Amino acid sequence: MPAASGISVLIVDDQMTMRALVRNGLQQLGFTEFRDAVDGEDALRQLISRPSQLVISDFNMPKLDGLALLRAIRGHPPIAKTAFIMLTGRADRELVQRAVQFGVNNYLVKPFTVTILKEKIEAVFGPLT
Amino acid sequence: MDPLEAIKVTFFQECEEQLSELESGLLAMEQGETDSETVNAVFRAVHSIKGGAGAFSLEPLVRFAHVFETTLDDVRAGKLAPDNNVVKVMLRAADVLADHVRAARDGGVVEEARSQELAAALEALNGAAAPASIVSEDFDDMPGLDFTPLTVSDDDGFGDDFGFTPLAAGIIDLEPEGPALRRWTVQLRPKNALYAKANETGLLLRELKRLGDIEVSIDGSELPGLAELEPEHAYLSWTIVLTTDRSQSDIQEVFEFVDGDCDLTITADQLTSSLPMMGEASIDEPFDVMALIQQARADVQAAPAAAIMAEILAAPAPAPVFAASAPSVPAPAAATATAAAGVAPDAAHGAAAQQATIRVDLDRVDRLIDLVGELVINQAMLAQRVTESGVPRSSNIAMGLDDLEHLTREIQDSVMAIRAQPVKSVFQRMPRLVREVAAMTGKQVRLVTEGEGTEVDKTVIERLTDPITHMIRNAIDHGLERPEVRVAAGKGPEGTVRLSAAHRSGRIVIEVSDDGKGIDRPRVRQIAIDKGLIEVDSNLSDEDVDNLIFMPGFSTASSVSDISGRGVGMDVVKRSIQGLGGRIAITSRPGQGSTFTLSLPLTLAVLDGMVVSVCDHTLVAPLTAIIESLQPKAQDVRAIGPDAYVIAIRDTYTPLIDVGAMLGYRTTPLDPTKGVALLVEGEGGARAALMVDAIQGQRQVVIKSLEANYRQVEGIAAATILGDGRVALILDVDNVVAARRREKARSDAKLAAAG
Repeated sequence: MPAASGISVLIVDDQMTMRALVRNGLQQLGFTEFRDAVDGEDALRQLISRPSQLVISDFNMPKLDGLALLRAIRGHPPIAKTAFIMLTGRADRELVQRAVQFGVNNYLVKPFTVTILKEKIEAVFGPLT
Repeated sequence: MDPLEAIKVTFFQECEEQLSELESGLLAMEQGETDSETVNAVFRAVHSIKGGAGAFSLEPLVRFAHVFETTLDDVRAGKLAPDNNVVKVMLRAADVLADHVRAARDGGVVEEARSQELAAALEALNGAAAPASIVSEDFDDMPGLDFTPLTVSDDDGFGDDFGFTPLAAGIIDLEPEGPALRRWTVQLRPKNALYAKANETGLLLRELKRLGDIEVSIDGSELPGLAELEPEHAYLSWTIVLTTDRSQSDIQEVFEFVDGDCDLTITADQLTSSLPMMGEASIDEPFDVMALIQQARADVQAAPAAAIMAEILAAPAPAPVFAASAPSVPAPAAATATAAAGVAPDAAHGAAAQQATIRVDLDRVDRLIDLVGELVINQAMLAQRVTESGVPRSSNIAMGLDDLEHLTREIQDSVMAIRAQPVKSVFQRMPRLVREVAAMTGKQVRLVTEGEGTEVDKTVIERLTDPITHMIRNAIDHGLERPEVRVAAGKGPEGTVRLSAAHRSGRIVIEVSDDGKGIDRPRVRQIAIDKGLIEVDSNLSDEDVDNLIFMPGFSTASSVSDISGRGVGMDVVKRSIQGLGGRIAITSRPGQGSTFTLSLPLTLAVLDGMVVSVCDHTLVAPLTAIIESLQPKAQDVRAIGPDAYVIAIRDTYTPLIDVGAMLGYRTTPLDPTKGVALLVEGEGGARAALMVDAIQGQRQVVIKSLEANYRQVEGIAAATILGDGRVALILDVDNVVAARRREKARSDAKLAAAG
């Protein structure tokens, strides 16, 4: 049973508001370690220099979108096993299916509640303590 | 503040950025730039606004953004061609979206009819059938509205539906913090001297242990038999394996005091297995991120959507779930479209949009500017004292001071540059204004902007919006003709309003020009006569006539239209520009259009001033207000009352104001022939000659608010500190001229020069 405070999270979204909302939700769930990235490329660079255990990433971003970020992470052995939750604007089936193909661990539809956020994270890591 | 409230504030700030990206993207599309990155940026802006608005349950905003987004999605997917009509509707929709954002922020409501109309227009564009179902599906996702995730919400539901990858090894193992750990092998073989100097290996090992985990092995193979053992000799050597995140030099430092008294080798091992799957890759190795990105993009693009669909469908039992949870599934074609539009944006575009910036509290910058102002004054004082003390120019002190002056200037410029902002923030409000005014007047207008990146101090920018807004309204309302009139005059039906900004000799020059009919001089002249602004038989040049429109109370509109009207005329524009230490000029050619040129200082923190003496006091007059300076001759000065004088300057009598008497520095008026007169122009073009004792010179001064430090004083705009440390007051020329006019209202009239 993992402790939320033991999981480091990289929040990837080009929108500051959304990053703040995710961070706020994570804080409520007891997470203490987060970093922000403003697009896929930024996220990838940060992960390569210092890995995180969980990436919560938006899909539609400039430079490198969430799907390509996911692909890049899975394609780079040192960080390939990072847990990845995709944020999507709406329940876009095709997108989620493609993400599944590339090994996404779960997805989160915006706007989300803290309860849903918890559900999705627990679905990946098991119940949080 | 409640964290969510704080995020909401951020959201609205971010909305403004996204609205401006939306507008500039749509304008680019209007110019034919319909590449996928431009379209996607536009889509993303609306999408982000909707996403954030959803989180805060801003229903009307979400609803409108959703319709907008749906239409944009069609454009993105290639289902709707972004022709001119489509983009025009979207531009108007962007305006309504902006209104929705502001209404949500400020608690107002958007005119329902307008919002409905645009929503309907957007829906008409994307073929009315599809959106309805998506709307209902999407709105089910809002918080508190029975959010239904795509998967069934059983505890373990997601895995079955989508085959989400369970994490094989749970949470990946990370080193808690900081840079990666490395393993070092330290080989230490002390020499006799090490012990002779009272050093001890044990202490060194203890020091090493502070850097990280150590494994120590000792090599005693050189140890002789007891009989041969020299108690003061060194026989042992150690091999220490140290795992640490510290650098080699930190390790070396441990052995600082035994340097030369031992054989020491420190070698780095392969990267430790802090990350189990790190394998051979080393963090220190330069890693080609771009190659990885390229590969990922290629993979994402290469994965054919149809094949994925097939795989998904082949997977055990997912299809019924999709069918059940979301009945409005379009054909796989939609998947292909998403795939084509959603990936591989041009990196260069993205880079331009996102520059590395930090947000700094404006107070901190202002404080810095204040301090630099003090520094400039201090430097000037120091320089003056050194000069006064008779130190030769070639001395080290004087030369050092020159360097200091140079540096101070550079610091001042750099600090000013922090507060400088591109005029874009003002310019980008104008396209909307142009659309609105064009719609109201039934004219066709194209706005061309140039030099949006031109930077000017924030305080100046804030006060530029109103004058520019007014001038653009005027250009469309009064300058441009109706389409049919233009065609009759041999022009294209669409008029052009050009707004440009540029730096010119330390000032910012902003031009608003139109290709309309130009100033109707006979009519302007007639209005001026009717309103008693000029004499019937005044002999005025074309330029003089053009400048009449800046006179207070002048308005060429036969009725106060709701566009240019609002009761303000170009005189208000001119006054606000002068309030910024700027000038405004007009040039016009009948039938070809008019150009208004504004010239403004780049900052309000420093001022170019004329330093003058008045009764042992030092005053500063803003250079922008001074037209010329002259030494009055006795025959040019005439008394028109007990202590009122006028001076003849080139056939015009101008009131003569004794600054010393006005400020109460002296009771007996200065003999005009013994002083210097500064011919100044105040607001509304009113002129006066200010009598001062002498001119000291021109210099740039740092403006210090008098109100903030003392109180408001009639006739004084601000204060500054001079090189010798004395405070000098900066004259408020407008106020001085106006005060004089109030006092001597009658004597202000222009008199025809005798002879």
